[in-house]
Amino acid sequence: MQRFSFIHVLAWATACFLILPILVVIPISVTPERYLSLPTNSMSFGHYANLVGDARWSKSILDSLIVASGATVLSTALGTAFAVGAWRLGVPLARRLRLLMLAPIIVPPIVHAIAFYRAWAVVGLLDSYLGLVLIHAMKGLPFVVLTVAASLANLDHRLEQAARSLGATPGQAMRWVVLPQVATGVVSGAAFAFITSWDETIVALFVTSRRVVTLPRRIWEGLADNIDPAIAALGTLMVLITVAAVVINTLRTQRRTA
Amino acid sequence: MKDSLILAGIEKRYGDAVALQATDLEIKAGEFVTLLGPSGSGKTTILMSIAGFVPPSAGRILLDGQDVTGLPPERRNFGVVFQGYALFPHLTVNDNVGFPLRARGIRGADAQRKIDAVLDMAQLRAFARRLPRQLSGGQQQRVALARALVFEPELLLLDEPLSALDRALRKDFQAEFKAIHRQVGTTFIYVTHDQEEALTMSDRIVILDRGRILQSAPPSELYERPATEFVARFLGKSNFLRGRITRVADGMADLQCPALTSRVSVGRQDALAIGANAVAALRPEKVKLQRSEAPADGCSATGQVADITYLGSVIDVTLALADGTTLAATIPAGALALSEGETLVASWAPDAAILVEPDVERGA
Repeated sequence: MQRFSFIHVLAWATACFLILPILVVIPISVTPERYLSLPTNSMSFGHYANLVGDARWSKSILDSLIVASGATVLSTALGTAFAVGAWRLGVPLARRLRLLMLAPIIVPPIVHAIAFYRAWAVVGLLDSYLGLVLIHAMKGLPFVVLTVAASLANLDHRLEQAARSLGATPGQAMRWVVLPQVATGVVSGAAFAFITSWDETIVALFVTSRRVVTLPRRIWEGLADNIDPAIAALGTLMVLITVAAVVINTLRTQRRTA
Repeated sequence: MKDSLILAGIEKRYGDAVALQATDLEIKAGEFVTLLGPSGSGKTTILMSIAGFVPPSAGRILLDGQDVTGLPPERRNFGVVFQGYALFPHLTVNDNVGFPLRARGIRGADAQRKIDAVLDMAQLRAFARRLPRQLSGGQQQRVALARALVFEPELLLLDEPLSALDRALRKDFQAEFKAIHRQVGTTFIYVTHDQEEALTMSDRIVILDRGRILQSAPPSELYERPATEFVARFLGKSNFLRGRITRVADGMADLQCPALTSRVSVGRQDALAIGANAVAALRPEKVKLQRSEAPADGCSATGQVADITYLGSVIDVTLALADGTTLAATIPAGALALSEGETLVASWAPDAAILVEPDVERGA
């Protein structure tokens, strides 16, 4: 029989605080009403049908996928290249540049938004996929640099030297030895970069308008115009996808260590 | 000579700091050469210059008459066994050993035949499917060696390969390295700070200190005829007799020290002046102890037994001399029943002590 101590209460309270706000979208998503509400007498999956049926939602999902994928590829490639380069040089300048790479996390998003709004207006990138991909890639870059640098931190420089002495060109040494060692860092960096872009609202609100409408922007507008429970349906789907991803990942890691 | 390696005046500076002073060294094909020295002596710098990882600030590296100084490491065709082995953690033993073949575009059955041959030589066939982390230290060492030999390199460079192993395993590997060297006939260049490794395996030992070569000779010559005080101290134990030269003739000299006078071999010292200060090295095992009178040739000293250390087959005896210095002698166990405090006469053959170049002050 477990005793209820203050610590237990605190732990459960914290867990509830973390989980309940996420779960609340599930009942809302099955409301039969046309506004955000908890279902009272009956349930309806009409809002899920709306997600599929309404062209605006499916376009937004596609737009978000396009922008997040482009940003992820770009920031992963650049961030990995930078982290590996800094690791190879190992000079103080490289360490200082790494701090500079963290600037996108430090600068408030609203500052980015205003700066890019002005700049993109000049070069004609407002409301374009490329324009948003570039900004999101920049915002994802610090995460890739951090995770890849972390996995490089314990990597022995002699591994690369060994590869070279055994006849590998610098490119082969990179592909066959260094990159396989930092693969975990690259993948988690890419995941962070993807999520950064997938969630990003503020800059998207400033630099896009009609052509590019990412999901967070669509949700924002949905909330501002009429409070559409399709948002809750979408939220539920995203929670389910995330839970599935975490479960699969956990099972894979357990199998590998077993 | 085919495939001889020549270092011509190679030098390495990092800003104002000199890691390696201008150095000349010639290594013959098939030779087992050991670079021996304390840390910071420049031995690893030489090895890494040969491997191509440290570009020399000056000088040239010639292999078989060809200048390889500017060649990148992958085009030198030298095998390197790194300290800590540097095995690729994500590849199996088979793929680690196959790596140099893959880099050379050798694949399939051809590659597998070579891999199998070298795995057999290293007694690793049973471990081919394992990952490096599933191997013991000794097995990892064998993989590193097999990987560096599978492509039949022109040179094998070994950077303190045994430093991570325990003493018994180190001894086994010394024998194994010698056997493999005989078998493959490749030039071995071996870096270590362990004098025993150097003495047991090498055809020739190059002793370094503070970025320069002090002496380069076969182990027995290095031990018997050290050129400098540092060499005599670094390789084995030695007494140092400090005094003034009183006479020079026929490769021998008389050295007058406060507590004794000895005839000494001039060794490699030239231009000795009468009256100059000099240092002679005298190995403890060349010192004989007796209770009777000193022999007539005058190479002797009288002192009290200050310390006796029993080492099984031999005994180390420390004599306190009249001037307050000590003299170490190593004698066969059981030759003489000794007690501390008793007075003994130590004597040695006239050519047992050899003049050496005194140490310069550290930091000078």
